[in-house]
Amino acid sequence: MSTRWLITVLAALVFAVPTHAASIQARLIRATNKADDSPPVDAALKDIAPKLKKRFGFESYRLMGTQQQSLDKESTSRLNLGEGFVVFIKPKSVEKTAHELDVQWWSGRALLVKTTVKISEKSSLLIKGPEVGDDWIILALTMQE
Amino acid sequence: MKLHKTELVSGLLDGQLVGVRRWLAHRHIRACPVCGAEYRRQRGARELLASNPPSARMSESAELFWSKVKREIEARGDETVEMSLPRLTVLDWLGQHQYAAASATVAVALAAVWVVQSQTATRRQGVAAPAAHPVATVEHVSTAIPDSVATPLDADDKDTAVIWVSGLPWTANMTEMQTLFANLDT
Repeated sequence: MSTRWLITVLAALVFAVPTHAASIQARLIRATNKADDSPPVDAALKDIAPKLKKRFGFESYRLMGTQQQSLDKESTSRLNLGEGFVVFIKPKSVEKTAHELDVQWWSGRALLVKTTVKISEKSSLLIKGPEVGDDWIILALTMQE
Repeated sequence: MKLHKTELVSGLLDGQLVGVRRWLAHRHIRACPVCGAEYRRQRGARELLASNPPSARMSESAELFWSKVKREIEARGDETVEMSLPRLTVLDWLGQHQYAAASATVAVALAAVWVVQSQTATRRQGVAAPAAHPVATVEHVSTAIPDSVATPLDADDKDTAVIWVSGLPWTANMTEMQTLFANLDT
């Protein structure tokens, strides 16, 4: 009986070994120059804060919504970021460490951007979107392994 | 049969135990390494005796011999006799501590999986590191919003791609923007 138990546990261990899958994180960001008491960059944006400041020049960046999704070939992922913004991502191919993705950024019924990008681990795609008052809406896609 | 009663082992080998008592004795011998070892020892002795029948005849009758034995037993009365317990082997210990052995095996297997995984990860990093420069490039971009243009910008950093969408309708606040895009059919 103990042998059977042991085999069961070992089999569970073998099948429990995690598989390595790439995932993509989508973040909806509001760039603003309005000063308030909070830190200029949200903690969840620290990894891309230097890139945002260099590219867009705003003082503050606020995270409005975020979603992360494992990339599953041949299937389209739908990432709902709130405020009516939705991102569709479909992996096309993988070359070495770079993933080729079809990306569509929608707001309501409007297709804001349709693009094909090659993006590797820890790389980012930043899209400057609509302007709201004095602020800009930015979409950041970051590949993670 | 919590205690190690050798007479029950003898009784089992002699066929004196029947029914539930026989089943219980068998179960105990399978679980108890001390009694299991005693059982094997006695069985071995019996097999040895059976395979080597006495060649010399007794000098006295069986009745006289057993009467001597009986007198000896009565003379000793309640005198206790120290009997050394049989030595346990590794297999006896494993039989007694099945779950401990299984847990130890699982721990060793886990350690092996961890070592293999960390080595694989190190090897992958070592191989991929020189070639794995972060890269982000825009191959194609467009927008469906009228009077708007989506343009990929030249990047100083290879790990960041930027798309600039200009000409999008301006709105004063998020509610107005949601209403506008919700009704803007592209």
